[in-house]
Amino acid sequence: MSTDSKSGGRIPIENGIEQTLRKVLKESLKSDLIDALLLPVKVPSGDSYAWILMQDPALVEEEASPMAAVMPVQGAKALKSLTRKGNGSLRVAAMMRPCEVRGTIELSKLNQINLDNVTLISYDCPGALPLSDMSDAPQDTEEAFMGLLSERNFESTAVKPVCQFCTEFSMGAADVHIGMADPDTSQLLLISGSEKGTAFLSATGLKVDEEPSAWEKQTDSIQKKRIQQMDKAFQTIQPMVEGFDNLADTFSNCIGCHNCQSACPICYCRQCYSDSKESSLESAYYLDKAEKRGGISLPHDRLMFHVGRLSHMSLSCVSCGQCTDACPVSIPVAKVFSYVAAQTQQAFEYKAGKTAGEAIPLKEYKEDELKKIHEMTKSAESQESPHE
Amino acid sequence: MKKKVGIYICQCGPNIADNVDIDKIIESVSAFNDADDLEIVAKPYGLLCSGEGKDYLKQEIEENGLTHLVIGACSPRDHNNTFIGVCKETSLNPYLYKLINIREHCAWIIHDKDKATEKAIQYIRGGLRRVLYQSELFENKLDTNPDVLVIGGGIAGIEAALSLADADRQVFLIEKTDRLGGKAATFKTVLPKQQDAVEAIQLKIQTVQDHPHIQVMLNTRLDRIIGFLGNFEAEVRSIDDAEKMTELKIGAMVVASGFSLYDASTHPDFIFSGDDEVYTALQIEQMIAEKNQVTTRSGKAPKSVAMIHCVGREEVGYCSQICCNAMIKLAARFKTQSPDTTVKVFFRDLCLPHQDDQAFYNEIKAQGVEFVRVNRIATEGSQIKFTTMDENEGSELFDMVVLAPAMIPADGTPDLATKLGISLHETGFFQEAHQAINPVATATDGIFIVGTAHGPRGIQATLLQAQAAASKIRVQLIPGEQIVPEVRVSETLEAFCMGCKTCLEVCHYGAIVFDEDKGISVVKEAVCRGCGNCVGSCPSGAIQLKHFTNPQLYQEMIEAVQ
Repeated sequence: MSTDSKSGGRIPIENGIEQTLRKVLKESLKSDLIDALLLPVKVPSGDSYAWILMQDPALVEEEASPMAAVMPVQGAKALKSLTRKGNGSLRVAAMMRPCEVRGTIELSKLNQINLDNVTLISYDCPGALPLSDMSDAPQDTEEAFMGLLSERNFESTAVKPVCQFCTEFSMGAADVHIGMADPDTSQLLLISGSEKGTAFLSATGLKVDEEPSAWEKQTDSIQKKRIQQMDKAFQTIQPMVEGFDNLADTFSNCIGCHNCQSACPICYCRQCYSDSKESSLESAYYLDKAEKRGGISLPHDRLMFHVGRLSHMSLSCVSCGQCTDACPVSIPVAKVFSYVAAQTQQAFEYKAGKTAGEAIPLKEYKEDELKKIHEMTKSAESQESPHE
Repeated sequence: MKKKVGIYICQCGPNIADNVDIDKIIESVSAFNDADDLEIVAKPYGLLCSGEGKDYLKQEIEENGLTHLVIGACSPRDHNNTFIGVCKETSLNPYLYKLINIREHCAWIIHDKDKATEKAIQYIRGGLRRVLYQSELFENKLDTNPDVLVIGGGIAGIEAALSLADADRQVFLIEKTDRLGGKAATFKTVLPKQQDAVEAIQLKIQTVQDHPHIQVMLNTRLDRIIGFLGNFEAEVRSIDDAEKMTELKIGAMVVASGFSLYDASTHPDFIFSGDDEVYTALQIEQMIAEKNQVTTRSGKAPKSVAMIHCVGREEVGYCSQICCNAMIKLAARFKTQSPDTTVKVFFRDLCLPHQDDQAFYNEIKAQGVEFVRVNRIATEGSQIKFTTMDENEGSELFDMVVLAPAMIPADGTPDLATKLGISLHETGFFQEAHQAINPVATATDGIFIVGTAHGPRGIQATLLQAQAAASKIRVQLIPGEQIVPEVRVSETLEAFCMGCKTCLEVCHYGAIVFDEDKGISVVKEAVCRGCGNCVGSCPSGAIQLKHFTNPQLYQEMIEAVQ
């Protein structure tokens, strides 16, 4: 968990950021603090990454891609698969993007991830590149991403659309955070966010005694720009979402594959209600509806699927953009979800995955929250023109 | 099997018949007759809830061999139980029946008869669809324990304990201090008419102590409670000896945990220390009870007394109802002690609710007690500074200052609420089930709140509440009789539960437990009240509420909103 006064330490960058980081991770694995690392490794074909649980320090130095250009599987899902049934005594350090850390925190609140003995490592993320870039041109994509890191470029328009206006790109609830936004490009800044993090950094032989004020200033300034980007983006998303007709238009080419749900780290149900037999009705019902409306599209309720998912998971949505990466027909799912999530989370004064201690709104009832939501709904209604 | 659904439309005198075309409803729903699967028997009737109406229904169910029943009539709040009762006297399972409200929802609110009829038809069709998806449910009977735990040994708890024990109920009375009687036991006289109460209260305490059906446990607090009406298990623990835990089996609980006083010394306008001649009304009461006179710290009778009302009222946000009278009672007391004493009452608003209060107030004024209406007031020790309503400023020094701080919830009230699983009002006192209609019950069956634990009130109102709660318990738990728990309760579908524990958090009744081995939530049916919170919170659809399953609701809805 993050603390208010942070402290960090530095190591010189040698042979690039990735190689330097590999060394740090290797050291941690050699110490008697960590049993295994969970991190991205490039697949043999070279056009994607997979999450690998590693125990061999030599392999870490050769194979690890701790900062991957794209995000094929959300890290929270990988960690869930490891710890869903508890974590025993296995001490794991997981290397993740900030949105993956947030997803992890949300899933731990939902009892789907066990964080006992897990050390979370994150970094200032310039944004992930679209998954399709990597499969189309692996080498270019990887170089482009490494370029963003080494240039400290947090304003790229090449990254996924939601990454461009992500305001939570920096340190959140991670135990260790790598200050990639730090102005000093000759060294790697490692910041501790918890006692676990301090222990981890000490195990790698790092002296943790610096107050990273230059980094904090830099991340603040990036965040200000990102907030502006978000306001701008939301203005364009709003008309896509508000009103039934607009929402129906946005999802009109949905092919009902439910990839967005499969890729979503938050959708943790074993079976989605929309896939259950209870969601389909007798043919007479559809015929009747078709007769009344002059025709209905089948499979039915494709929009309901998205609305249902929004109502189920938007309070925990971490805006990682996996849904858009997974959509084969290029629906801007993540933009819609990110926009709606910002509203619902604001209503409950909640930021998904930001801190581990805060209960998810569904589990906690505050008497005044209903009043607040009522006020928000009223003001939204007065801004909107009435629609059927 | 062929289904045979009876649909009976009640005219409700002119209430429904005048504004809904019942013949049209009958005609419309009869169209659902399907020679193979479904037979509809649809008929109108004058007044189904009448004795004749109920007999008619029973006869129709049996003679037609109905497999399902839909009634179009009034609100389920009025007669759902009536018709469930009718079904119970026939071969039809009462959970294969559905009441559709075409009175409040149609006839009474839509002026256009055609539109009201159209809506009624849709609703009845919804009911018809729903009832076909309903399942039989069977009620179980449970033995009950008529014993009662009373929490708090003040005047409220004492009265509740006596009212129950005199009716042969075994009562366990726990009190966190080392004596019974609470704050009221320190009062020399009580409102409204200044009767001497010392003896009466002492007699009650003695009766409780000697009562064969009351077990008093002093220096004891509640640790844990599980269960439901008729079958609670409570763990109570000695405050002095943490090792000493007693397990009690009881059927109901009375919460009589009392009140505390707003701490005037935290108010920026009231500056005083323990050495100053500043007292709370309760301290004066105690002084009178102990030595039958009021003196300053130096042992002299005060020659001038300032009495300040409503201390902290703005801060807590409510009127404590009894302080005005209590202060007037003390003003009178000062005058009785020495008629020459200057007594000034500083008030903003006077609350004199009882029929005898006005006369008493007039009498005190006639005796020379001065009432000064102030806009603002502050003290520094016994130096008073005030601004009257017409903005005149004043400053006076008194021998003694008496404050009437607001009544606030007793210490430990939130903790007790958590243990009991009952809600608190926004003021921090315990919340009743319904302020006007059900004032001593809570949202949890079998837990009652009485006296100042429920909010500021006097002794008279406190005793009334204690007696009311005792009566309720005596009616609900009759020794030797069984109760029928709700059957429309939740159940978890093991295969779908992801073990996220969200349902555990939203259940107010403690009805869901977590099976650590299987990693799933399990509903304790006897505790579940069927509120459906868990169903709404479960993203996986792993919990369903019997009689309100998704298919049942969905089928009714798609027909009703066609």
